[in-house]
Amino acid sequence: MKILERPLLKNKTSATGILLFIVLGVLPFAAAFIYALLYSFGLVGVISSGFTTEFWVSVIKTGSFFKSLGYSAAIAGIAVFLSVVIALWLTLKFKSALENKFILMMVYMPLAIPGLATAFFIIQLLAKGGFLSRISYASRLINESNEFPDLVNDNLALGIILAFLTMIIPFFMLLFLNVYKNERIEDLRILAYSLGATSRQVRNKVVLPILLKKTRVLIALYFIFLLGSYEVPLILGQESPQMISVLVIQELKQYDLDKIPEGYVVAVMYTIIVAIAAVFLFLPRKREQYV
Amino acid sequence: MYKNWRAYVLPFLVLLVLFPFTYLLFLSLSGAWYYPDVLPKYFGLRNWRTILSSETGLLQSFLMSTGISLAVAIVSTLSGFFISKTVYYHPHKRILNLLAYLPYILAPVVFAACLSYFFLKLGLFGNVTGVITAQFLISFPYALIFFSSFWNERIKNYENLVSTLGGNTLDRYFKVLFPLAKGLLLVCFFQTYLISWFEYGLTSIIGVGKVQTITIKVFMFIKEANYFYGALSCCLLIFPPVVLLYINKKYVFKKIA
Amino acid sequence: MTKLIQYLTLLFLALLSASCGSDTKRTTLDLENTDWETLVDSTSGKTVNFMMWQGSPVINEYINNYVVPTVKERYGINLQISGGQGPEIVQLVIGEKQAGIAQGQVDMVWINGETFFQLRKLDGLWGPFVDKLPNSKYINFEDPFISVDFQQPVNYMESPWSISQFALFTDTLHVANPPKNLEELERFVKENPGTFTISNDFTGMTLLKSFMAELGGSPKSLDGKFDQEKYDRLSAKLWDFINRNKKYFWKSGETFPKEQTKMKQLFASGELKIAYGYGEGGIEENVRSGLFPNTVKGYAWDNGTIKNSNYLGILQNAPQKAAAMQVINFLISPEAQLKKASPESMNANMVLDIDRLPEAYQKLYAKTKTRKYGPSMDDLKEHVIQEPAPEYMIKLYEDFRTAVIEK
Repeated sequence: MKILERPLLKNKTSATGILLFIVLGVLPFAAAFIYALLYSFGLVGVISSGFTTEFWVSVIKTGSFFKSLGYSAAIAGIAVFLSVVIALWLTLKFKSALENKFILMMVYMPLAIPGLATAFFIIQLLAKGGFLSRISYASRLINESNEFPDLVNDNLALGIILAFLTMIIPFFMLLFLNVYKNERIEDLRILAYSLGATSRQVRNKVVLPILLKKTRVLIALYFIFLLGSYEVPLILGQESPQMISVLVIQELKQYDLDKIPEGYVVAVMYTIIVAIAAVFLFLPRKREQYV
Repeated sequence: MYKNWRAYVLPFLVLLVLFPFTYLLFLSLSGAWYYPDVLPKYFGLRNWRTILSSETGLLQSFLMSTGISLAVAIVSTLSGFFISKTVYYHPHKRILNLLAYLPYILAPVVFAACLSYFFLKLGLFGNVTGVITAQFLISFPYALIFFSSFWNERIKNYENLVSTLGGNTLDRYFKVLFPLAKGLLLVCFFQTYLISWFEYGLTSIIGVGKVQTITIKVFMFIKEANYFYGALSCCLLIFPPVVLLYINKKYVFKKIA
Repeated sequence: MTKLIQYLTLLFLALLSASCGSDTKRTTLDLENTDWETLVDSTSGKTVNFMMWQGSPVINEYINNYVVPTVKERYGINLQISGGQGPEIVQLVIGEKQAGIAQGQVDMVWINGETFFQLRKLDGLWGPFVDKLPNSKYINFEDPFISVDFQQPVNYMESPWSISQFALFTDTLHVANPPKNLEELERFVKENPGTFTISNDFTGMTLLKSFMAELGGSPKSLDGKFDQEKYDRLSAKLWDFINRNKKYFWKSGETFPKEQTKMKQLFASGELKIAYGYGEGGIEENVRSGLFPNTVKGYAWDNGTIKNSNYLGILQNAPQKAAAMQVINFLISPEAQLKKASPESMNANMVLDIDRLPEAYQKLYAKTKTRKYGPSMDDLKEHVIQEPAPEYMIKLYEDFRTAVIEK
């Protein structure tokens, strides 16, 4: 331990670097967490009246956090799963086409659209008064806007999932293309063929395992990002249940002042879960992962 | 047969990608578009003219967003580069790496809600400096992690070589590190620029509606159900990154590893 | 690792202690005992931050293109608008209070009863100041719809800005006889499933208060101080009514629009057949801008709808109190109010008493165009309910979520 710590103190620049890292990268997170924690136990806040666990009890009892967490995880899980499947399919099916500059540009293009604009666009397109509904009306598929199916602010979160898909499929495609190139999967594929493997065997035993293994941390990371996303569910979600970030902000901005600490309870629980996930993802020594 | 099928899918996908861009641009040029009309009754430059000339301040927001994002991108890229060197050469780099990830993966809006007390205390609430600081706090970890793979044994050896040959610190940076990292620095700059440019939740909390960046405006127009202005401001939000992409896509988005 | 934790704790403490000493000096001008002339002399070149709801294009237009340039030109005041309504304002005040900020982010706010109630509870409002404004002489403070906000005496702590009544509206082309009481509404939603909803915001909760008054038996049934027993009894009936019928609401009552603007969009696209809002329905601007067809008409509810005023307040820690007073005085001037009342502008009722205005303005007022589509407040005066105590609103919010949305 002593020998390992030496470089930190040996060199002044190194110590300054670590200090700056802690001030800029670690301290704000720690401060935010401690503040939320204190607030959730009624220890800070204008209307605080000393230590109490009532907010924790109330949040756990009503189950709003767990409902919201389950809902968010389901949406994020489905979106990530579908994105990976679709992106894999597209990448492998159109691999040669993707070498074309214009086609590759088309994969990059959606990355220029932020979640806020995606959500806005999806409302314009898929709401009952939206563009598709108008076309359905004009082509007499429906007789009034009410007959158009529920695609935004809906029960099944279709709008949210669709928005997520358009946002992350292009990203995963670029990722898989890259891994394909860097890991020389093409060579391995040819090798496998020459050893007599069928194309199904090549796909299931060579190509997919390498692609997924090399990218799994990044895929998990995207799951966490979607879990905490805010703008998209704020615009495309329904009133209940809500995704985590939306729930936190709603609880913090509510009319009943005495219940504001409940928002911090939710924030603390969410932060702990994300932190645990981070420990599992990034603490193990990993070999050649794409992160 | 198989080949035919593919020939149809690809153009369809290309259209699908281009559709949102054209549709948003079209919507920004429209007016008086009532249900169930498939096409608007008005089409022209009216929205663009009013919005750029009246007091809605959209142009101002555009310039302000540009300033904020430039500041965030420059500061976080440079600090990320220098600080990541010590972090990723550190013997405890796995733990430090984990700590860097925490603020990076937490939802920015929740992070901001819990941090707002400190911003208030430090007088960083509701002003541009505060928004830049807050956005920096989420883009800095990104930059830090971004450069993690750059610092490896090979780079270390180059640096040692320069020192052995009598080069000083400046030589090490300007003759070795910067030239080697040029591409990565640019990608990181564009990436952090976009993180800031696209940011809404955190900005709305730390800016308390006083710092009206482009994303704040978009949301305001959505809220007041003003879809034509909404589309217009979405265009302002989307087209700068598209232009950057067009200029050189390999610098805009992270080229992995 | 221990080093790390040591660093962290040290820095955290340093940040805390550094920030605690950051109290700035309070403004030295003694506003209580200064006359108006001296007071407004000091306001030129000052920046006033005004936090208001920015959800309506006509309101934004009035503020951005009329008020902002006029106060700049006349008084040299830079009026900065920031977006935020009730909960955001309260949230800001709580935050600043907690952090002990003497010079706040916002000077003046646009609020109504429940925010007034919360800000009073937090001691967040500065005043009384309204009686010092020269233009307050045009306001009739005897009018209970002005001097009493959600059953709380205003006591010059907030200045009335507009007065309006809630109303419902429908497209007369499709609905000849819209429902005017709960019984008819029940029948209506069964016959027209999916065409009615309750927005989960201030507007929707205001409608629920009218419903609750009807369940209580008279327009006056919610008057007086908050009564928990009465609330429990009537709200139980209300939730029963809604839960019994919500399967006929928009989206089968499984979700509700978050904002009234959203509800108006749904009405515009024909999804909803009945909608409602303050400003006697607030349909004039929407018909004029073409969002609604010109067959849309506002109408009254038999047992009455709520009438109230909305107000402008100055925050306790506002850095520019005098300049904010100047701006508010302008906003309640006959000129600004007349402009605001025009159906071509914000179309909000004047809060001023016409009889008290100088003759020139009375003539101008007489010439103001009347509404073409919306009812006037006079048309609705037989069906009026005074705003109940704020606790009703706060409880309705909470319980609407637990008793209806999450059910």
